[in-house]
Amino acid sequence: MSKPQGSSVKERAETALKDEFLVNAVKFTTEKLKNGKKAATAEHGNWEEWRERGRQIRAHTIAHLDYYLNEFVNNAREQGVHVHFAPEAKDAARIAVEIAKHKQAKSVVKSKSMVSEEVHINEAFEDIGIESIESDLGEYIIQLANEPPSHIIIPAIHKNRYQIAELLSKEAGETLAPDTKILAGFARRKLRDKFLEADIGLTGANFGIAESGSIVIFENEGNARMVSTVPKTQITLMGMERLIPTWDDLEVMATLLPRSATGQKLTVYMSGITGPRRTADGDGPEEMHIIIVDNGRSLQLGDPDFQELLNCIRCGACLNACPVYRHIGGHSYPGTYSGPIGAVLTPALNKNTEEWQDIANASSLCGACYEACPVKIPLHDMLVYLRNRKVERGYTAAGEKLAMKGFKMLMKSSGRFKQAVKLGQTGQKLLVRDGYIRSQFGPLKGWTAYRHIPALPSRSFRERWPQLDAEVGASLPPMPEAMKSRMESIVAGRKERGMKR
Amino acid sequence: MKVSLFITCISDALFPPIGEAMARLLARYGVRLNFPQVQTCCGQPAFNSGYWDEARVSARTILEAFDDSDFVIAPSGSCTGMIHHYYPKLFEHEPQLQEKALALKEKTYEFTQFLVQVLGVTDVGAVFPHRVTYHPSCHGSRLLGIKDEPMQLMASVQGMELIPLPYAEDCCGFGGTFAIKMSDISGAMVEEKTQHVLETEAEVLVGLDMGCLLNIGGNLHYQGKPVRVMHLAELLYEGVKHREQTAGV
Amino acid sequence: MSTSDPAFLEKMEQQSREQQQRFIGHIASRLGRGGASESRKPEHPYRGAPDFWNGYELTHEERIERFMGNWRAAGGHTERVAGWEELSGVVTRILQEHGAQSTIRQDLPELAGLRLEQHLPELAHRVWNGQDPDASLAAAAYTDAGIALVDDAVAYTGSLVVTSSAEKGRSVSLLPNLLIAIVPAERMKTRLGEVMGRLSRSAGEGLPAGVHFISGPSRSSDIENDLTIGVHGPGIAYALIVG
Repeated sequence: MSKPQGSSVKERAETALKDEFLVNAVKFTTEKLKNGKKAATAEHGNWEEWRERGRQIRAHTIAHLDYYLNEFVNNAREQGVHVHFAPEAKDAARIAVEIAKHKQAKSVVKSKSMVSEEVHINEAFEDIGIESIESDLGEYIIQLANEPPSHIIIPAIHKNRYQIAELLSKEAGETLAPDTKILAGFARRKLRDKFLEADIGLTGANFGIAESGSIVIFENEGNARMVSTVPKTQITLMGMERLIPTWDDLEVMATLLPRSATGQKLTVYMSGITGPRRTADGDGPEEMHIIIVDNGRSLQLGDPDFQELLNCIRCGACLNACPVYRHIGGHSYPGTYSGPIGAVLTPALNKNTEEWQDIANASSLCGACYEACPVKIPLHDMLVYLRNRKVERGYTAAGEKLAMKGFKMLMKSSGRFKQAVKLGQTGQKLLVRDGYIRSQFGPLKGWTAYRHIPALPSRSFRERWPQLDAEVGASLPPMPEAMKSRMESIVAGRKERGMKR
Repeated sequence: MKVSLFITCISDALFPPIGEAMARLLARYGVRLNFPQVQTCCGQPAFNSGYWDEARVSARTILEAFDDSDFVIAPSGSCTGMIHHYYPKLFEHEPQLQEKALALKEKTYEFTQFLVQVLGVTDVGAVFPHRVTYHPSCHGSRLLGIKDEPMQLMASVQGMELIPLPYAEDCCGFGGTFAIKMSDISGAMVEEKTQHVLETEAEVLVGLDMGCLLNIGGNLHYQGKPVRVMHLAELLYEGVKHREQTAGV
Repeated sequence: MSTSDPAFLEKMEQQSREQQQRFIGHIASRLGRGGASESRKPEHPYRGAPDFWNGYELTHEERIERFMGNWRAAGGHTERVAGWEELSGVVTRILQEHGAQSTIRQDLPELAGLRLEQHLPELAHRVWNGQDPDASLAAAAYTDAGIALVDDAVAYTGSLVVTSSAEKGRSVSLLPNLLIAIVPAERMKTRLGEVMGRLSRSAGEGLPAGVHFISGPSRSSDIENDLTIGVHGPGIAYALIVG
């Protein structure tokens, strides 16, 4: 199995759907993560209150992002951090490369960071001959396979252990058995040496804490701790929206993030790093850089439909909940992020409408993503807003445009609608067999490839209504008093509220 | 008290017995439905595809139809959800219409919500001696929070064996134009859903949204599976008739 | 090379400050503040956990029990030890059980008091020394067991908190495959928020460079969602509760 090919989500999805291993692997893991989340949130209790608090904290931070960024930057500088600003992805890569060049670095060891994927940092280092190694086990695997991650939390969700054994065996120069323990053991030994040799450690940041200029990293393997403990120089890439105001707020994020991501009460490691090592400390970086990345994030600010997108804490719960993601996997989506968050984030960060492809169409708008989101981002609404913006900017398929014109004509007046149904009732006759339409014709062929359509009955509801109404009216009992008063009090309550408005 | 029926375009054209079941069932409580003929469609197919001008044209017929109603009821969580969740947004640049949209939102109920929340009815007195499974449609359960109402109504049906649908909360893959634009993804989703329906060995699949039921039922028929697909209003009304016939009323 | 040329850093710093105005000014203008960023601390009415949670408190015994349950569920080992006198024997036993050949510990009197050199003279024992960083780090990387005294523990999440200082290298709790964490019972808190509150209060005066919450042995589920223990950090993690 290799990465699904194709120029659109639809094309890639078609290949992915035929890949039985991929579909089963993704289904198996997302299901496990989803159940883990369900159990963890039920055990913790009051989940809705926590979600609401998480949303409030994130929304508050984003609404005052200018203040909190300044606070974060000033505090980090006070601790001796060198802070840099990257308006675009290429700026972030340029700054990181500049530092590495100055350090005459030969190798960089990296922990998991989605923003570094956005920035294509590995390629930037490789271009100047610096080895850049992913140390998260999943990231290491896909780096060896030369693929992007297909899940925010489980980057190699689409690979099985036979494929992984093959990749790692090539690296080991010997045949490794497809046994998880053996494979992980090899990675541990191999990467341990890399940690000790590396000149630079590169991390992401789950959160930045404004009141102290600290960054916080959640992880299970310990590789992010290694990256921020062993090399003499640390570079941290941080999306500009990662901030929270205080350590107190971290308790809420620590409650929401691991439970939503994997169902853990807390990840094995949660590290708060405040500046480089103190003078007498024996480990931790001597020099620390934080590169704050915009790369399209600021475009969401002040946009009422999309500002909430910046509340995302990258837990991956929406991917696990999404029935579309489950069927097509992460590589069917263009861009760094996949699943519902990717479907919105990729076009939102890029704003190049014509290149959105059909990404926003790859959703049934079922809302499972919103329900799963620990900070209540209405992704299902945003998908509709994206579709709308695309239409308003004129990027539409001719056939669809025509169909919608037809819809408008039809639905503008009930007379026309009634007439059209009437026409359908007569017109369908050639197609109907035993009450169903089966033939795979014209614009509905996507539908009929999987389903039969029941024939239109000879009379629509509105045609039947006069007779039905007469029959009902002929024998109508009086309404029970209790019901009547219930209805009256509802209407009265409504009027009262209306007056207050 | 003017209680109006918003039949929805799909039930109007394809499933008239649902409206009939609603009208006859509610009549038993002295509710005589009113049916404004000017209504067409809530506009969702166009809205969800991003064609909001087109959606507004259609939605205006709904605003007009129910302007003077006290209650509006619809046999669909999805179309009700469209009114509740998106109409205020759809008309955000037309204050007068937005005002109407907000008023409409307040008085519009999905069918089971109306029965349980407004009329206070949880037992319609139905007998339905069959094995039944229930698919909770996404928009109804997630956008409107309709979870308990259908459960309460079904729990009171005598003789009915309600078999829990595995992965009930998973989307069936309908999603309106999604089923056509992304037909293979939608197809995989509906096949997964019918697989779960078949696992229950139920004779009847019941739901609250004909879009989803058209999708699931269409795939069941495509596979040649004889599962009967019904809207809950139909099931309840058939159950009431059944009781009356067997009791000799 | 470890330290950068000051001139290079100076130049970068200057660029950064220029860029900061543009970068954050742009954010301010997107937020409708016309390019001048907010200078007054905003009112933050949603700070920290919901109120109902802040009143949540377990008794001392419940805290210990909850912690031990969580730590075991995460794949760790935990024992309760009556006092510091008994602790030495327990640590000795664990080191023997796992066949450790070498130890490294934080430079703290409580840990010196374990007298491991005396009890296990055949093992190589090392004490973290911030004054000799490279040797300490290199030693930690090839040592079997790390022994650390924790600053705090949190019952509800089953977490230990270790912080960095000259005496307390981060490597001690990270590089050796066997971690023995000593938890004085009175340092056991109920909620994460109790530790966060303290960190928040000391934010102004300067925090340790590293504050690490540890909730079990290192793990990964990256291969077919199959749980593997001990990927980069310690694979065997003991939490010994004293008192």
